[in-house]
Amino acid sequence: MNKGQIIKRYLEIIPGTISWGVIIFLILLAIFKPIISAILIIVFDFYWIIRTTYLTTLLVMAHRKLYKQKDREWLSECQRLTNQDWQKVYHLVIFPVYKEGLEVLRPSLEALRQSHYPKEKMVVVVAFEERNLKAKENAKVLETEFQTAFFGYLSTFHPDRLTGEARTKGANATWAAKKAKEFLKTKCIAYEDVIVSCFDADTCVDKEYFGCLTYHFLTSSKPYQASYQPIPVYNNNIWQAPAFARLVEISASFCQMIESMRLEKFVTFSSHSMSFKTLVDIGYWPVDMVSDDSVIYWKAFLFYKGDYRVIPLYITVSMDVAYSSNLFKTIVLQYKQKRRWAWGVENFPFLVSRFLGNNKDISLLIKIRRTFHLLESHITWAVWAIILIFIGPLPILLGGAFFNQMSIGYNLPKITGLLLNFTLVTSVSWIILSRTTLPPRPKGTSWMKNVAMIIEWVIVPFIILILGSTPALDAQTRLMLGKYMEFNPTEKIKKVV
Amino acid sequence: MSIAQRVRAFLFYLSLSIFLIGLPFILSFALGYKFDPRTFKFTKTGLMVLKTQPQGASIYLDGKLFNEKTPTSINELLPARYNVRLELERHYPWVDSVNVERGKITRLDKIILFPLRSNIKHLNKYKISSFWVDEERERIYYINQEENIIYRSDLEGQSFKEIGILPKVSSLPKKYKISPDKERLLIFNQHQIAAAYLEPRNTTASTQAPFVLNYSDRKVCDVFWHSDSYHLIVITNKNIEVLEAKPHTEPVNLVNLNKKNIVAFYDDAKDTLYFMDSQKAADGKFYDNVYELELSSKSYSFQELIKSQDQ
Repeated sequence: MNKGQIIKRYLEIIPGTISWGVIIFLILLAIFKPIISAILIIVFDFYWIIRTTYLTTLLVMAHRKLYKQKDREWLSECQRLTNQDWQKVYHLVIFPVYKEGLEVLRPSLEALRQSHYPKEKMVVVVAFEERNLKAKENAKVLETEFQTAFFGYLSTFHPDRLTGEARTKGANATWAAKKAKEFLKTKCIAYEDVIVSCFDADTCVDKEYFGCLTYHFLTSSKPYQASYQPIPVYNNNIWQAPAFARLVEISASFCQMIESMRLEKFVTFSSHSMSFKTLVDIGYWPVDMVSDDSVIYWKAFLFYKGDYRVIPLYITVSMDVAYSSNLFKTIVLQYKQKRRWAWGVENFPFLVSRFLGNNKDISLLIKIRRTFHLLESHITWAVWAIILIFIGPLPILLGGAFFNQMSIGYNLPKITGLLLNFTLVTSVSWIILSRTTLPPRPKGTSWMKNVAMIIEWVIVPFIILILGSTPALDAQTRLMLGKYMEFNPTEKIKKVV
Repeated sequence: MSIAQRVRAFLFYLSLSIFLIGLPFILSFALGYKFDPRTFKFTKTGLMVLKTQPQGASIYLDGKLFNEKTPTSINELLPARYNVRLELERHYPWVDSVNVERGKITRLDKIILFPLRSNIKHLNKYKISSFWVDEERERIYYINQEENIIYRSDLEGQSFKEIGILPKVSSLPKKYKISPDKERLLIFNQHQIAAAYLEPRNTTASTQAPFVLNYSDRKVCDVFWHSDSYHLIVITNKNIEVLEAKPHTEPVNLVNLNKKNIVAFYDDAKDTLYFMDSQKAADGKFYDNVYELELSSKSYSFQELIKSQDQ
């Protein structure tokens, strides 16, 4: 192990150590110093309520923006731009695929074909994994259906286990981007004029997506020093998905909307777009990391010495709700998906090891701020539900007779109960907003489903119990112990109604 | 900075302000501190928890009436001794002087307020001289010893009715025992055992007639019903015997006893008698021991035993 690897290993241990440290510290405090523990719990509960209220307000603001821009005809707006030539912009769309079948890929490609943007300005790459035995067969079927629909259509087959690579989505996407680069070169298209979008296989874009993306690319300052992040929604099969999975994905979508309002912390997630020139300059997506969607942002951030940002696009890309044949399997599936997202904690050693290296162009303040944001978000994710649900009652249970005869022993459950009841108000906002982002009810689905989809919010505490913190704590523990994850795509079921 | 980002910054600082301003108040409340707006100081107070049975009592602290009624808790009480008075209509008030300490709870949560007139209900409909409740806690049996009448009712005094006539005995009975099938009653005193049918179905049948057995030469210590409700196990100061509960019955002697004041217990679930007696040991001395005598009809046929004795 060289010095860099040792530092990285130490950094990998930090998030899990802090999270476990916080949990163990609070448990020990509840046993030995219940009064101090109770004070900390009240402070945390109050902080959590203020935070939830603040974030819900941001959600309402983001939702309002999304709603206001919903009917904008972006292509027309591009056409009206006088100082920019939108026609020179090409879109390269990459769909990294592993096990996803035609039933998942076909709607995604069809959404591209149905988009309002001129198809002669679009190059589509369906990036298969060579190890998938059905890859060639599926590629042929899709080529027959879609090859003539776009300016360019490529099927790529990423060889398994290339030197220096892990079995990750980023490795496949990078292979596809390099193939696309060769294609663009043959067509004499400048990389500066190409915007690359890396989409999950089930991503169905809004018809105006590429117009919106082009508009923002052409009108923003330093367009190459920015990633473009749409709002992911999980509307493809939301009416068919079971309540548990639906609520989890709605919450994930809302979290992303909230993040879109916090620009100084905003990092790319899932399906997103960026300049192809930037992608080539920074050396493509990481080929050995699971969280390629966020690491690509940090690579660009470091490349541009901190002068790189994510521009939120208030337009949706729709994906599938992940669920399986029964509740238990769905819970396992969702757990694994959230754990994979939480594996984004690997960004911490990646970023800090580079900050610690020869990187003096980024100010210390920015380095500290970004590191803190990154670490704080992952630590909070790993402990919040555990503190609220499991550690909150501990002073009363373990505090003994002395604690229970103190005023704080009597007031703790009353105050925490009162404060947490206040979150019901924010829950009502989430329920209302969830209704407004739903696609139209499919034919054959009873209107009673609307009622059921409101009542189902009562299971949110159960979801918090299972998926609130444990996937993040699991991911951090694995990183802490050096048990690295490989990319394992989430199984998607698509029911046709 | 866009308008949205300005609004966001405003919201952020507003939230931070609410947190920083609100937290001291929440924590001081939790810890029992009271903010005095005149002095701008926090004073540590105590808390009183009041629960009464029944609920809804008015609370007076040092003569001052509070708006809340029990059960409730009174926060922010300055440390002191308080005269507490709890009042509920048609109930005796509860009064006490309690000490409230800084940062602690004074719990008054086991208070029963008794009604002014106790909830007394008259159960027997006719004159009686004694009563008892059966083991199942379902019925009350009443005895009128002057007229030798047995009555019965449920625990609420409902269904009160005469259910039998006691045979006349020479002195007051020591005990009354209902048979396991609830159909017969036995009474005994030192020298007599008597039994009667309760609610006899056929008053002319000789088997259902009341009867008295005399033990003039022995002292009856205890009598038990066998689980078949037909046999009696009689403990006297001289022996243990079993007999059929009918007139002119012939007892079967099971054990001769040496000890005069015998202690016995009958387990009617297993039909087993446990008794203490003095028995002579190998060294010629008498020692007190406890014995078990199994009387289950499965292992011990009384009918055959009695028949064999008759022959």
